[in-house]
Amino acid sequence: MTALQKPLESHESVQTWFKGLREQSGIEPTDDPARLKLLGEFCEIAGLDPDEIVRACLLVKEGRETKISIKGRRSMAERIMEFQSLGSPQDSRDRAKRGNTIRSFLIHNGIQLQSGVQF
Amino acid sequence: MEFKEVIGRRRSIRYFQSWRPVEREKIQIMLEAARLASCAVNATFMKAIVVFRDDLDRETLDALKTPVSGLNIELAPVHIYVYVDMGAYVGAQARLKKLVDVGALNSTHGWSHKFVDEFVWPNILKPLADNASQAGVAAGAASDAGVATCQAMLAAVDEGLGVCLSAFVAEPVKKVLNPPPNWMPLWVLLVGYPAETWEAGGQRPRPPLEEQFFEGKYGKPFKSDPKVVEQLKAAKMIQAPAPLPWRKEEVKALARMFGLPD
Repeated sequence: MTALQKPLESHESVQTWFKGLREQSGIEPTDDPARLKLLGEFCEIAGLDPDEIVRACLLVKEGRETKISIKGRRSMAERIMEFQSLGSPQDSRDRAKRGNTIRSFLIHNGIQLQSGVQF
Repeated sequence: MEFKEVIGRRRSIRYFQSWRPVEREKIQIMLEAARLASCAVNATFMKAIVVFRDDLDRETLDALKTPVSGLNIELAPVHIYVYVDMGAYVGAQARLKKLVDVGALNSTHGWSHKFVDEFVWPNILKPLADNASQAGVAAGAASDAGVATCQAMLAAVDEGLGVCLSAFVAEPVKKVLNPPPNWMPLWVLLVGYPAETWEAGGQRPRPPLEEQFFEGKYGKPFKSDPKVVEQLKAAKMIQAPAPLPWRKEEVKALARMFGLPD
């Protein structure tokens, strides 16, 4: 497991996420401290820092355009589902928020993925 | 709704009222609109398979999803899988002669049964039919299917529905729908009642008329007349451009309603 070597906010991917939330979604990310807390929790479980989480979803080959890794994304989507299931069993909104926070982080870092409807 | 307003109101709707079924009658209206579309050599290149989402089991529905359209597939109660029938040239000879018989193709323009039988079919249509897989032939056929699909979309908007054209992955869909081998996959037209406002954030950005259309020859822009633009605004064909000021709030609300990421 890679321990977080620096504050979450200082990771490039977290800055990209926050920029996306502000500019694309019209959301001030610092208004809800749970975002970073959940991302930190996910990083801990995954044993990866935020930038590594994004890289795990990519297929990087020298001299070629970077692609989204189908396997990497699928595997990350499964880990997100597991992370989501750790939320309150009585509160589906809480569980969805856990998963969607991580999805939002990846989406704003260019990893296209969808959650499906979670009423 | 007036025709110009129908054009003006059409958007690619990406949030559907997943719980609200679409009346079968409205789907038939869409299909009738497609059936009546202009088509070269009177060949019906557009073929489609209508799928009512709730008739599918979960596993089948999941098999139809792509990473980009998965959510819309889930939200839209009706999916119309549009194909291009590359075999539609076959029979075109008889269909053209029928157009002669009904007075659509006339001797005033040089048309006769003999012309169809002895020139059009052997020299034009049969070679096209024999080379249906060639890119140029396929592009022409796909274009016709697109025209028909567009009419279905506009009919849907006129019926108060929302529509969105999406790409689909042919193989998994083929397993479920079993289309004939000479049907080329084109689009899936997703249909449902919009969960977002019909404005869906405003009319999408498009290049100015002068960038897209030319007069006389390429390079001489077809000039837009501001008076016509005003007329079209009054007729609600040209509408307020996206983003409307409240769009981000609307998307946030939709995300909350459906439990989606922000």
